[in-house]
Amino acid sequence: MTTPQPTALMSGRYQRAFTLAVLFLVVVWHLGGAGGQLLHSRPDYGSFAFQAIMWLVMALAITAGALLVLRGAPGWRGAWAVAVVALAASTASAAASPAGQMLAVNWSWGSAGWIGVLVLLRRRFSELAWFLAAEALATLGVQAWDGLNRTDLAGFLGVLAWSTGAQVAVAAGVRALDLAAGHASEAARSEAGARERVATAELIRAARHARWLVLQESAAPLVAELAAGTADPGDPRVRVRCAVQAAQLRRLLAESDEVPGSLVHELHASADVAERRGVAVEIETAGPLPPVPSQARRVITDAAIAVLTAARSQARITLAVVAAGIAVSFVADTGAVVALPAADAGVAMEQQQDGHILWAEARWNSR
Amino acid sequence: MEQPVTVAIIEDHPVVTEGVASWIAADPGQRVRLVQAARDLSGLHTASQPAADVVILDLELSGELVTTQIPELVAAGYRVVAFSGHSDPAIVMETLDNGAHAYVSKEEGRDHLVEAVLAAATDRPYVTRSQAKAMLADQRPARPALSQQELQALLLWFQGMSKASVARRMSISENTVRQYISRARAKYAATGRTAPSKDALLARAIEDGVIKPGEIMPYTSFARAVADHPSPGVPGQ
Repeated sequence: MTTPQPTALMSGRYQRAFTLAVLFLVVVWHLGGAGGQLLHSRPDYGSFAFQAIMWLVMALAITAGALLVLRGAPGWRGAWAVAVVALAASTASAAASPAGQMLAVNWSWGSAGWIGVLVLLRRRFSELAWFLAAEALATLGVQAWDGLNRTDLAGFLGVLAWSTGAQVAVAAGVRALDLAAGHASEAARSEAGARERVATAELIRAARHARWLVLQESAAPLVAELAAGTADPGDPRVRVRCAVQAAQLRRLLAESDEVPGSLVHELHASADVAERRGVAVEIETAGPLPPVPSQARRVITDAAIAVLTAARSQARITLAVVAAGIAVSFVADTGAVVALPAADAGVAMEQQQDGHILWAEARWNSR
Repeated sequence: MEQPVTVAIIEDHPVVTEGVASWIAADPGQRVRLVQAARDLSGLHTASQPAADVVILDLELSGELVTTQIPELVAAGYRVVAFSGHSDPAIVMETLDNGAHAYVSKEEGRDHLVEAVLAAATDRPYVTRSQAKAMLADQRPARPALSQQELQALLLWFQGMSKASVARRMSISENTVRQYISRARAKYAATGRTAPSKDALLARAIEDGVIKPGEIMPYTSFARAVADHPSPGVPGQ
């Protein structure tokens, strides 16, 4: 059976790898890029302690964001909570930075943007756009508060260009890779389905071949004898052989493990031939029947064929659940005892004749 | 000579009514007399006195199952023999639990309907093969416990053997075979909901020596058993 799990798993595994790559980028940026800049510009801040606390707040936001995205696609509450914390820390840090040195000392800008990318990566693209726009506006607002220093404004625009560009590029790249992974797993799924169909076809072919071999042993010689004229169709014994072969052909065509209650199905197929001869056949089932293995089914249907072939005008087939298996019985006006197949595959045979009525029972025990 | 048993038939297909009439007419002893034929139950409900000893009831009238109306007929003093094209064991068991004396499928009518009517008239059990099938297929938690011998006799009877053949197969007398099958039926009359028809059947079974009072299990509340193990086709659902 094809289940979507393996391929969905495969696509999920790729997506997780992309998430980890983005997470790695964010962590490296915050530790190396932002952390390095913070330490390097240490003497320039009014309060280094405040900047360090903001850096730690953002580190916590990254941790929270990492937990969210590693657990699966985050909901909007979680994602935006992390994003807003990062944005607030970034804005506070920028506001506390000395005016006119934005480009040199502001470490927080990039980290906030990357945190936004991390948590909003697999949400709607517009959410990330809104976040990045809000961050740009906040930083611009801080600068306006500081009196719109020309150097800062130039730095701001420069940073906006490369960092937002990089962030958008990464987000778009991950999206494209997600899509590709989806396509790849779709292709793998259809390939697995094709393989399965080939295997099923092979099983069916093998089963047909087995049936053909069975027919080679019994039906083919009979047809050959009829064709050669050594078997006389007027001979009742030849007619019985023909009837048995016709019933077996039908039974073989009906044999299939896919049909629920297939024993009943096969018995109906066997009864069909007798009905064509004008024998009234009734089939009754008492209770839900347990599944019967195909070997045992074959012994039972062989018994059915033997009794039905000998029936003159009527036959009753019943199936009933008994203690440890099922009892299939045949009552028919055969006029004589019938050569039943030998007990085999857990099936026991019994028969009793009263006048012209024969009772036979094939009892299969599961133990 | 004994008075013939009077019978009413409720059947919405006239051709079936005619068939039943012809089976009754073909009975050599003329033991049954058809006194009424109707297409629905309204005539029986309005009569103050039971119009017949036994009612042959088609379980499906104008496309509706009427098994739930059996208790009313029983309360009005009729003995009911269900005659139906359905052979679904759940419907058979529901019919018997509602107080019908016997269940005869339409395939069995020719051989069994007149005999079933006669048995019902004297409150004696009559088990058709379709009824045996339903008893063998019964999986309900509140089903009565049948002995191995009773089950074997029911199974062989269901399989299509004559009672004489069943007797030979089991190395017992034909009378004992009847006894086993009747006892199984009586045990069913002792389970499920109460009905005057079931009491009468049980009383007659004890009188005839089919079953001893000690073999009858106490009444079990079907409603409770069903609440524990809900299953479709059980009355009261």
